[in-house]
Amino acid sequence: MIVGLCLMAGASNVASAADAYLPIVMPITGFLSVEGGSQRNGAVMALEQAPGGMKVDFPVFDTGTSATGAATALDKALSSQKAIAAAVTVFGTEMVAMMPIAAEYKVPLLTISGLAKITESGNPYIFRFLPNDREIKVAHARYIVEVMKKKKIALISDTTAYGQGGFALLQEDFGKLGTTPVFEDNSIAPDTKDMSPLLAKVKASGADVIALHSVATPMTLITKQLKSSGLNIPIVNSSSIVEPTATALFEPAELAGVCAETPSAPEARPTPAIKAWADAYLKRFNLEPDGLALGQYDGVMMALTLMAHGVKTPEDLRAALQKETYQGVAMTYKSNGHGDLSHDADIVCWDGTSRIPKIVGHYAGEQLILK
Amino acid sequence: MTFVQLAVNGVALGAAYALVALGFVFIVNATSAVNFAHGDLVMAGGYVAVGLGSLATLPMILMLPLVAAIMFVVGIAVALVAYFPLIDRPPATVFISTLLCGIVLQNLFLVLFGPQARAAPPLIKSGTVHLGAIEISVQALGTLAVAAALIGLQYLMFARTQIGRRLRATAQDRQMAQAIGIRASAVIACTFGAGTALAGVAGALLANQFFVYPTGGIPLSVYAYMAVVVGGWGSIAGAVLGAMLISIFQVVVSAYVSYAVATGLLYFVLLLVFFFRPQGIFGELVQRRV
Amino acid sequence: MGLASWLLAGIRLPLIVGAAALILYAVCYANLYDLRVLTLCGVYALFVLGFQFVFGHAGAVSLAQATFFGIGGYITGILATRFGFLFPVTFPLSIAGPALLAVIIGVPVLKLEEHYFSLATLGIGLVVLLLANQWSDVTGGANGLSGIPPIEIAGFAVADRRSVLWFVWATVAIGCLLAHQITRGLLGHAYHLMREDPAAASSVGLNIAELRFGAFVLSAAYGGAAGALMAHVIHVVSPENLDLSLMVTCLTMTVIGGRTQIAGAILGAGMIVYLREWFRVLENYYMIAYGTVALATLIAAPYGLVGALERLRSLLFGTTAVVRPPLIAQPLLLCARPAPSRDAEALLRVDDIALAFGGVKALDGVSLSCRPGEVVGLIGPNGSGKTTLLNVISGLYSCERGKVVFLGHDITAEPAYAIARLGITRTFQHIHLAEDLSVLDNIAVARAGVDGANLLEALVTLGRDRRLDTARGLAMAAAERLGIAHVLMEPCGRLPYGTRRRVEVARALVAAPKVLLLDEPAAGLNEQEQRDLAERIRGFAADGVTVLVVEHNLVFLAALAERLICLDRGKVIASGLPDAVRREPAVIEAYLGLDPDVPELALAESP
Repeated sequence: MIVGLCLMAGASNVASAADAYLPIVMPITGFLSVEGGSQRNGAVMALEQAPGGMKVDFPVFDTGTSATGAATALDKALSSQKAIAAAVTVFGTEMVAMMPIAAEYKVPLLTISGLAKITESGNPYIFRFLPNDREIKVAHARYIVEVMKKKKIALISDTTAYGQGGFALLQEDFGKLGTTPVFEDNSIAPDTKDMSPLLAKVKASGADVIALHSVATPMTLITKQLKSSGLNIPIVNSSSIVEPTATALFEPAELAGVCAETPSAPEARPTPAIKAWADAYLKRFNLEPDGLALGQYDGVMMALTLMAHGVKTPEDLRAALQKETYQGVAMTYKSNGHGDLSHDADIVCWDGTSRIPKIVGHYAGEQLILK
Repeated sequence: MTFVQLAVNGVALGAAYALVALGFVFIVNATSAVNFAHGDLVMAGGYVAVGLGSLATLPMILMLPLVAAIMFVVGIAVALVAYFPLIDRPPATVFISTLLCGIVLQNLFLVLFGPQARAAPPLIKSGTVHLGAIEISVQALGTLAVAAALIGLQYLMFARTQIGRRLRATAQDRQMAQAIGIRASAVIACTFGAGTALAGVAGALLANQFFVYPTGGIPLSVYAYMAVVVGGWGSIAGAVLGAMLISIFQVVVSAYVSYAVATGLLYFVLLLVFFFRPQGIFGELVQRRV
Repeated sequence: MGLASWLLAGIRLPLIVGAAALILYAVCYANLYDLRVLTLCGVYALFVLGFQFVFGHAGAVSLAQATFFGIGGYITGILATRFGFLFPVTFPLSIAGPALLAVIIGVPVLKLEEHYFSLATLGIGLVVLLLANQWSDVTGGANGLSGIPPIEIAGFAVADRRSVLWFVWATVAIGCLLAHQITRGLLGHAYHLMREDPAAASSVGLNIAELRFGAFVLSAAYGGAAGALMAHVIHVVSPENLDLSLMVTCLTMTVIGGRTQIAGAILGAGMIVYLREWFRVLENYYMIAYGTVALATLIAAPYGLVGALERLRSLLFGTTAVVRPPLIAQPLLLCARPAPSRDAEALLRVDDIALAFGGVKALDGVSLSCRPGEVVGLIGPNGSGKTTLLNVISGLYSCERGKVVFLGHDITAEPAYAIARLGITRTFQHIHLAEDLSVLDNIAVARAGVDGANLLEALVTLGRDRRLDTARGLAMAAAERLGIAHVLMEPCGRLPYGTRRRVEVARALVAAPKVLLLDEPAAGLNEQEQRDLAERIRGFAADGVTVLVVEHNLVFLAALAERLICLDRGKVIASGLPDAVRREPAVIEAYLGLDPDVPELALAESP
């Protein structure tokens, strides 16, 4: 153990020839390794294309989808060299564990986690580049109530932190929009295989639409089994299903009539900028991109752009991130003063002919706030 | 959805779980070791099916024997790494070595196949069948048939043949079996192999409708453990019955209350079983001889 | 022993040097991250230290240790964030909460056999995990509770990393001290025997249920303390603090470090934490590397790192000779006069005992009695129920009908340990000794039950364990009476069969029993040893001990027994003076088949 400690100490003191150090601390193993891998790819792509010819050192530290692991990983990342920022996990519980460490080291964290409270706790070092769940759930709820005009809603979520958070927010939003779901269940374990009891209860409740907020695997199972159970009601999902790794599990026909909210849908390549980016991503990683990768890319690129324009210290970067506006690939980013920089969401639907959805709705800025 | 339909769904899923529990109890019987990597071996079978599916577009029913054969070899490998080196240590040590094997397996899947969920080809084809008012997927029917066939096969093998007798003898008293000329190590390795092959087949069957992903095995190990305890520790009929009962219980009960309550009830009932009939359904209460 | 010899014993010196180096490192060189990692080592060391009680010492595979850890963390989190309580309130409650849960579930759960016990503890853990996830109002649901404040005592906040490190390790030191107090003395040996051989432990008066219960509750208390500290270190508590993967980590750390050694808890925690940190840079391959190395360590070091280090030391430097502790043999007073009772004739009386296994009637209405100071031989062919009868009398089996009366009290329903403490001890057909313990300690442990050694007392006794010294003194006396004083410090596993048999008898004797039950004591002994043993047993009887000897060997019994009772197929078929019983046709028939005119019995007649 003594030998190992010496080695570690020695390794961490090796001077780096790079212009800056921006570590990546994300879940590469464990339960959220799909999402973690996506956001890692986005960050890596941005760091490899750092503007102004900057050379940035960006080692990757695995958090293991664990709060304790995340805290230690961030600690390791920030203590080995002076970091100007860190690109960090999408997992809310890990973010919460990382927040005190960011404050201790005074380094801004660039994340895409949707967990509302990370920017609502007064910690000035947290910057998120996908919409706050609180905002994006408004899009989810409004589309169902105002556009689809459905009144008998079945609200379902899984037991993950992501699921529970979204469930509570959707409940609140439906309430504000004047409806109460006819069926609610937030206790689906993410490894549940047979969804027929759930669908039986949904059918018995007389619901005419399902609002589902969960991680990808149970969402895929529910959507598939919904189709095959003969329960012919539409389903509006959270963004988990918009990941290409999730749609790959469907036959295109199984996706007919399925919709989802998503911060952006790069697979659909709706704008030339997104198309160029998505093609470059596909070439670099041999995978179709998703909104997580795009959001993380934009976030890291915003920081790198600010650095190329003269920001040199973490404190300056923090101040700049709170103040500046940045035109990214997916959208324009501007902080609302609390570290939420993304205020755009799409609603996408599949028509059954392809695995790539079409954008059918867009909400931005004020539209994502319900009084 | 009627009660009968729900029960049928429970049985369909339970058939696959029964194979998992069967493989688990094989290993328990041969080694009195709890193999907590068993769920990950189920996933391994699923991944083998996914891999084979990407090489050849054949219905899974034709590839199942190959899956079983590959998993048999994997099982022997696990035995060589996690069991034999620790054979004379306290049983908890093997428990832990299998857990560590499980961790290595999960992360191997991650590296080889990526973190996302994958689906294996269907047994025969996709789609559902209507039997009167009951709907059941072709995959589920196939799973039931395969499970029934394998359970029947193992009964014949164990109860009737010489191989079966040798296995049972080694399981009961390894040193005695060696003394009468049975090659205990080979027998134990084969049992590990057979148990793993069963797990692999279950994985291949489950992977079409329910997908495989690196962390998917963990709850399955707990499930198998529970089934074997409910059925009676070491009882093969008990393992199969236990798995069926748990699956039916879960599916039926969660149609009437929330999943969380259903799961809680399951654990509660399990704990009740411990305190009122600790030997399970088919187990025996044994007074120790001194 | 001087300080020098204390230091050089075992692996103490390298451990102390290593600890000093780490402290130096922590003070001078460590950066924030290193301090964090060392702090985590401390938290996990405390966690594992607690687990060692139930898993290492009591030998029960509890899968609830992570649950206790998590509950401790949640109690701290809830009380601190929702009610604003500070460390002096939250910490004791975080220890008391899991301990209370352990008390409640311990009684039913500890009665279960091995696998069922493990799964029951796992089941309880799963229920608590479910609650933690779903009861969002209290526990914060899947996201858990954040913003847990640092430790604050009497206005001083333990906020910066270095202070937290010292605080955590100070707590670990206290935990180690407590653990040492509990396990260094007679109680530690009691746990050792109990986990290796529960039947033998009960028969020497150890209340296994109580010992296990104590260990279980202690584990929970330590687990809760560790969980509370973790909450203060990372300021977050979430359901992952309760889940199966944490339990797996705990098990791995304990087995790799060393199940019963205090140094093992620290080494195990340290090794696993550091392995994970070193491999973190490997990204995808991180956990594969970790799992492989952990598995390799498990295989290479079966008794943990501590055991491996000790083995290495003895390879390099040779084993230090075990020094006999400076003790004086205490006089072992075997009862001269039994206490007067209503039934002055029979000290021990068995009335109409019946017990069947499945369809086989092992005992079918057996009655007998023993007077004080008698030596009674119990004979009969194989399967006649002799050992079964001893098991019923000593409380290991329950009979279906009949009663056992000792000193006028009905002891039929009494558990084995209580019967031993009342004054009936025994030996076994197959030797039941703790292989790794010395002869001295194997005998001494039999005093633990009768002298009432318990946890609370062990905790508060400072310095040497008086009870252990007394017990060892008595053990020396018992050893002398059996003629084995020359091998007192040898571990029993290495001794010849005859010697081990005598150790077992000495163990049964050291509790100064009124009745001694011997199960085939002459089996496996050569003629010289048999004669020697018979003489010694006569000596005990002369001192007032009543002896009931089960034997096949009629020659051995001839010199010893005043009375013989013969069993066949669960019934008494003859009883009386040895000569008469030997000539009884029923007895001859039972032993040999039919013909009474057989030379073998004639041999047995002449002493």
